[in-house]
Amino acid sequence: MLFNSLEFAIFFPTVVAVFFLLSQRWRVHWLLAVSCFFYMAFIPAYILILLVTILIDYVAGICLEKVDDPKKKKALLWLSILSTCTVLFIFKYFGFFTGSFVGLADLFGFHLSRPAISIILPIGLSFHTFQSLSYVIEVYRGNQKAERNFIVYATYVMFFPQLVAGPIERPQNLLHQFRDPHAFRYDDVTAGLKRMAWGFFKKLVVADRLALYVNDVYGAPRHFNGLQLSIATFFFAYQIYCDFSGYSDIAIGGAQVMGFKLMENFRTPYYSLSVSEFWRRWHISLSTWFKDYLYVPLGGSRVRKRQHILNLMITFGVSGLWHGANWTYVIWGLLNGSYLVAGWLTKDWRNRLFAGFGLHEDSAIRKAIMLSSTFALTCAAWVVFRARNMGDAWYVWTHMATGWNFHQLATEQFWMRQFPVAVAAILLLEIGQLWDGKVPVPAFVGRMPVAARWALYASFVMMVLMFGIYKQMQFIYFQF
Amino acid sequence: MQNVEKGEGVLLPQAHAAGVASLRPEAREKCSIVSGTAVAEPHRVVLEPWRAVRRITCFFALIIALVFLMNFIITSGLRRIQTSGFGVSNQVMESKVNAQVVITGSSRALSHYDPRVIEAVAGHSAFNLGKNGSQTDMQVAFLKAYLAHNQKPELVIHNLDAFSFVSTHEVFDPVEYTPYLYDHNLYDALWKINPSIWKSRYLPLYGYVVEDMNFSWILGVKGFFGWSPPEDYYLGFNPRSKKWTDEFQRLKASNRQGVRFEIEPGGAEALDELVRLCKQNQIQLIFVYSPEYIEMQSLTQNRAEIFNRFQELATHYDVPLWDYSNWEYAGDQDFFQNSQHLNDVGAAAFSKDLANRLDKYFLARTKTAGDLQAAGAAVRSNVGQN
Repeated sequence: MLFNSLEFAIFFPTVVAVFFLLSQRWRVHWLLAVSCFFYMAFIPAYILILLVTILIDYVAGICLEKVDDPKKKKALLWLSILSTCTVLFIFKYFGFFTGSFVGLADLFGFHLSRPAISIILPIGLSFHTFQSLSYVIEVYRGNQKAERNFIVYATYVMFFPQLVAGPIERPQNLLHQFRDPHAFRYDDVTAGLKRMAWGFFKKLVVADRLALYVNDVYGAPRHFNGLQLSIATFFFAYQIYCDFSGYSDIAIGGAQVMGFKLMENFRTPYYSLSVSEFWRRWHISLSTWFKDYLYVPLGGSRVRKRQHILNLMITFGVSGLWHGANWTYVIWGLLNGSYLVAGWLTKDWRNRLFAGFGLHEDSAIRKAIMLSSTFALTCAAWVVFRARNMGDAWYVWTHMATGWNFHQLATEQFWMRQFPVAVAAILLLEIGQLWDGKVPVPAFVGRMPVAARWALYASFVMMVLMFGIYKQMQFIYFQF
Repeated sequence: MQNVEKGEGVLLPQAHAAGVASLRPEAREKCSIVSGTAVAEPHRVVLEPWRAVRRITCFFALIIALVFLMNFIITSGLRRIQTSGFGVSNQVMESKVNAQVVITGSSRALSHYDPRVIEAVAGHSAFNLGKNGSQTDMQVAFLKAYLAHNQKPELVIHNLDAFSFVSTHEVFDPVEYTPYLYDHNLYDALWKINPSIWKSRYLPLYGYVVEDMNFSWILGVKGFFGWSPPEDYYLGFNPRSKKWTDEFQRLKASNRQGVRFEIEPGGAEALDELVRLCKQNQIQLIFVYSPEYIEMQSLTQNRAEIFNRFQELATHYDVPLWDYSNWEYAGDQDFFQNSQHLNDVGAAAFSKDLANRLDKYFLARTKTAGDLQAAGAAVRSNVGQN
């Protein structure tokens, strides 16, 4: 079930109403049941895959706690990780690796045929697999007690707000919340609903409108001029941010309505002054997952320079592969890794250069240069992320600055009249983000008379309703 | 310092630097709405659950009321528009057309037939019912709606396309029909194509915001306040002022092997239904294949097959088929916008040619009718004498 569907508009209030009407004892059962229903709205049979993952890690968690011998414990952990990852491999990477192998064999003159298996990727597989892995690793490390109640554990993996696109939760944060009592609290409900409304604005008004342009241009980049390629790339940067952070806002807000607190996933990443900062503010739940469970175990930065570089590249390469079974994602990951390495290696040189121009660390010009260069680098990486293949990505990179035609801006689906709405939506987004934290908007709005406050909220809801795109476009991150 | 709003529950103290520390941990950690950065939310409203539920329910009731109001404004506004595309539909649905000759078809009909020329040359009132992006099934539905609200015409000119046998898989610009879904002819045809059309009819705003991405609802709001867009339709005719574009070259480049237009059972049935509809209503029907750019004709792989089907249908039902494939300007790009559409210059020339032919057709028919009448009178007088 998509958040941006009529079905969800009926599903969510029903779930919340019944949740609060039930006694605490039955609430977790209810959440599990509705989460199953939510997931089965996509492809019902795939719930069995989820069940396998849940069973593996549920049993593994209990066994890990019982075993005292460190060697056995480690073996058990690896068995659990490999079992969970096998499910991920079969459904997500089998075609990719066999295809790559056949391609490689072809280069050496061995003409093999691809296996004729076509598997539809279960929605959100990478998200709940990682959440499940996180549980097992934390139990292994002794940071989390094994969950004995299967219903509670299954709900932890399947909690519907974050089931298909995160945030990828840690057991320490979420698991206990299924046992905690959740009273109906007006401020939680309204804060959650406001957060959801903001998420819907990002998804429906910004992301899905920009998607019309991006899909046209990136669908056949050779039919468009440099200006259109540049606009599409700029739009895609906003599309993917609003699509994914919009989903996170709806998930976090939806959970908050029921009194649950999920971890934050984005902190205005395009305001970052470096690529490393960008990765601390973009998809935080995944970045920290990779940091905690891959980068640090590899040695992190407390190793020799060469090893540090290798650790960074491995982490980003795997992160790219996590995003999709395609070489474009791997290259996107490696590109970001190389940005970080280059940034790290040139840090002193850049500082000296800025100092040479008299631009100290707090200088607005220095910040503007850093912010715009970070954004440009990020956009350049998004090209390969969005392109269908490396050929298209190369074409976009090499033609963005050529043949600009200001008379030919529109595309088949995105007419000229859509530009003002798209630009206004981006501006509103930026104003919202710039104000956030700087101007005490909630306090200001809270002091307004009820009529004025309701008028403001109702106007916002109506604006989202009237200017949104409701073609039920999937969230981009569902495919991961 | 305690800020209490009457009848609204208790608002916790305003947070300030020192106050933040005194808030409960969950309040301290509460994230701001937009980015989720850790900013303490200063206003905490504590309400009794039933009051809270009542308040939230009231708010959503307000939203629902606004949705219904907006839907009413948009629908009424679109139905009030006097000009352009909605103006044409409104004239049809308000029984204001009542022409002697009506032209049906797709965007080719819409942009090729100028009723003003037909009226001037052939002396019969005419109106163009062509619809952009429509296939035969929707064209028949619109003709049925026309017949339900207007006097029967003497003649229907149906413009044929190479894609006349392709049925509609997705309705183009469905918002064009949304204000008129009360008409069962349109609704039934749309329902056959997309059963979820009921949502557009019964769920407020659905047809305007879900099914339309081009803000046609803004036209409705403006129309509600008496505004109509500039007129670009003349008795239903919408000329295209653009000169020859590179669309055909691009089409050719991406279809070097040529193009095919499927002959689908649904499309053939729709054309059949059109003929039967005219027969039942005793309306004369003429099939016209209006000019198509000559190079496109050779690019269409199954053109002969499609024309055989046209010919079979015309012969079977005794419907005249006027084919303008070999029109004298069919190879002249100055008369076309793209391979399928004449520009305004081409439309003027074609309309004149067609009107002259229609004039002769009407004359011949009158003459035949007069001859038949005279023959009938002679027979009657002979019978009387005998």
